[in-house]
Amino acid sequence: MTGIQIILISGILVAAFVFFIRRRNNIADLLVFTTLVGTAITFILFPEWTNIIAHKLGVGRGADLVFYLCILLFVFVSLKLYARLRRLEQMITDVIRKEAIAEADKLENE
Amino acid sequence: MNNLQNDNQSVFVLVPSYNENEVLRDVVSMLVEKKYSVVVIDDGSTIRQSLYLKNLPVHYIRHKLNLGQGAALQTGTNFALSKGATYIVHFDADGQHSAKDVATLLHPLEDDTIDIVFGSRFLVPTLSGYIPIQKKILLFFGRYINYIFSGLLLSDAHNGLRAMTSKASTKIILTENRMAHASEILFLVKKNRLRFTEVSVSISYTDYSKSKGQPVWNSIRIFFDLILHKLFE
Repeated sequence: MTGIQIILISGILVAAFVFFIRRRNNIADLLVFTTLVGTAITFILFPEWTNIIAHKLGVGRGADLVFYLCILLFVFVSLKLYARLRRLEQMITDVIRKEAIAEADKLENE
Repeated sequence: MNNLQNDNQSVFVLVPSYNENEVLRDVVSMLVEKKYSVVVIDDGSTIRQSLYLKNLPVHYIRHKLNLGQGAALQTGTNFALSKGATYIVHFDADGQHSAKDVATLLHPLEDDTIDIVFGSRFLVPTLSGYIPIQKKILLFFGRYINYIFSGLLLSDAHNGLRAMTSKASTKIILTENRMAHASEILFLVKKNRLRFTEVSVSISYTDYSKSKGQPVWNSIRIFFDLILHKLFE
């Protein structure tokens, strides 16, 4: 095993450990996460396998394929997070608004 | 005269204030003098804006946190509607608008042929007075960007002075908390097929309003807010 493989695998194991000890996940999450961890470790141990898939998809190197997929994933995650941020902001706004109006009414009725 | 006073009382002028402090009092007094119902929305200012409003007959609402002008206007609208407003006016707190213009703004609404009136500083060129050049360029682009996004071409993209009927205000529900609300109003006007017009209003660029006004780079942020708004509609 090379140095980079040890670093990557220990990183993934730490992430998995953190994920599992939180125990707030349902079965579906657990399955998805386990599959991801499994795939990641497989490809770290056998990097040439990504080359085979890359060639099939018309990409020169496995590393490039992984890079492209990461970009896609990044965009997807950013949009998801942004949508959630907007929902959150809307919720905060609603709470502050309701409270502000209730407070104003209370002051005026005194 | 008495009649006019009663009429003016059902006109709710919303003045969102974020750290306007002393200037706010002048702006509000000028509106109170005309017997309008004034609603000051303190958008989480560092110093409670009620300190600057002592002995003035105004409604005061305070956001616990700073949410932005769009959010403040929406809060003011909800409040005004609950108090039975017939007309709702948006009025900037930095002293750039003049209280005289409110009557001009309301005039087209009175015979129920128009739902919302936008103030514009460009309809009568002599009225606009001195406008800083970067501001002019920005407003020029803003105007066309609004047009692309909303399909409405107004002469003044981001004038803070507007008036609408209470019925129109129930359709204009702002979700853009920050400055993109000005464009969001246009989307909603278009979407709900509201009848709109522009009237000429004056703007005074005092040193204060210039220092408080939108920094140029802020318009880039508005632009991105708009794109994201369209994306997540």
